[in-house]
Amino acid sequence: MNAKANITRASLAAGLLFAVAPGVRAQQNGVQHANNFTTTEYYEPPHQQQIKSILSGAEALPQPGGLLIIKQLKLEMFNLDGKLEWVVNAPECVYDTFKGVANSPGHLQVRTGDGKFRVEGEGFLWRQSDSFLTISNNVRTVIENGAIMNTKP
Amino acid sequence: MKCYSLIVIAVLGSLMVHAQTNTPDTLSTPRGLTQIIAESGDFDLAGHEATYRATYRGHVRVDDPQMKLTCEQLVADLPQPGGHPSHIVAETNVVIDLTNEKGQTNHATSDKAVYLYNVQNGVTNETVTLTGNAKVERAQGWLIGEPIIIYCATRQIHANNPHMISKQNLNGATADTNAAAAGTNDLSAPKKNDE
Repeated sequence: MNAKANITRASLAAGLLFAVAPGVRAQQNGVQHANNFTTTEYYEPPHQQQIKSILSGAEALPQPGGLLIIKQLKLEMFNLDGKLEWVVNAPECVYDTFKGVANSPGHLQVRTGDGKFRVEGEGFLWRQSDSFLTISNNVRTVIENGAIMNTKP
Repeated sequence: MKCYSLIVIAVLGSLMVHAQTNTPDTLSTPRGLTQIIAESGDFDLAGHEATYRATYRGHVRVDDPQMKLTCEQLVADLPQPGGHPSHIVAETNVVIDLTNEKGQTNHATSDKAVYLYNVQNGVTNETVTLTGNAKVERAQGWLIGEPIIIYCATRQIHANNPHMISKQNLNGATADTNAAAAGTNDLSAPKKNDE
């Protein structure tokens, strides 16, 4: 399968994960298996020139019931200044295109753009509507060389 | 006693955030890694009112080179990059073990610990308030109060309704006093009952 040819359709589908505006819905029947896709979401006007997120994945597999399996997910989220705020990686997850939630029993990694704050765990639920993430098990946060509140006067 | 409690709690927040604070009285010191482990966690990444919120639940453990903290729930309001954590709450079976630069350990326990940070008129206010069976154990003994407030700027610990138990006195006739430890400049008892 030609991956490039499927990017548009994959974008419609995979882009729904975390990134695409609620008004956009995947047409499950029109989405085929796709490889190595990338989709970009922009902020709404007046910041429509600013990238809000970039989603990429190794595979997008449509499933019955409006579900979409995405493998090797990588999501990058940017602020309005173009600064990379969050990076999310998951080997695999299932996105419910109707409910706007993604979940997986598997591993999840989240880190800030500078990499100094990292969270990982097993099993997660992502709610797209309010960018709310729940990690169910074995949550581990690592902070590198963080600012110490050394309060010496 | 230096205000390690505050430092620790503040570190919790500041380290949990990717931001480095620019507060003038804050020194960024290489400290290696801080790790927070919990059974589960919720992360509000939307950034409501310029703040993210992380909630850890279940056997929460914070390991830091200068302190260990355990509790059942930890909620931290995390700022945007460059900001400063303003509000952190540790609840249920809070245990904080702090090690100062001299290697001395202080052991604090309470039902709840609240860290607050704000700057008003250029003045930084940072406190950690321990409530609910609050107790700080030091080499000399235990300070019990309700609440126990740690002020970072002055490096003082204030306790309402203070109750000091000397370890030395545990072997003597008097087991406790009703005043804060004398002869220390970092521990004070500004208030007693209903003062």
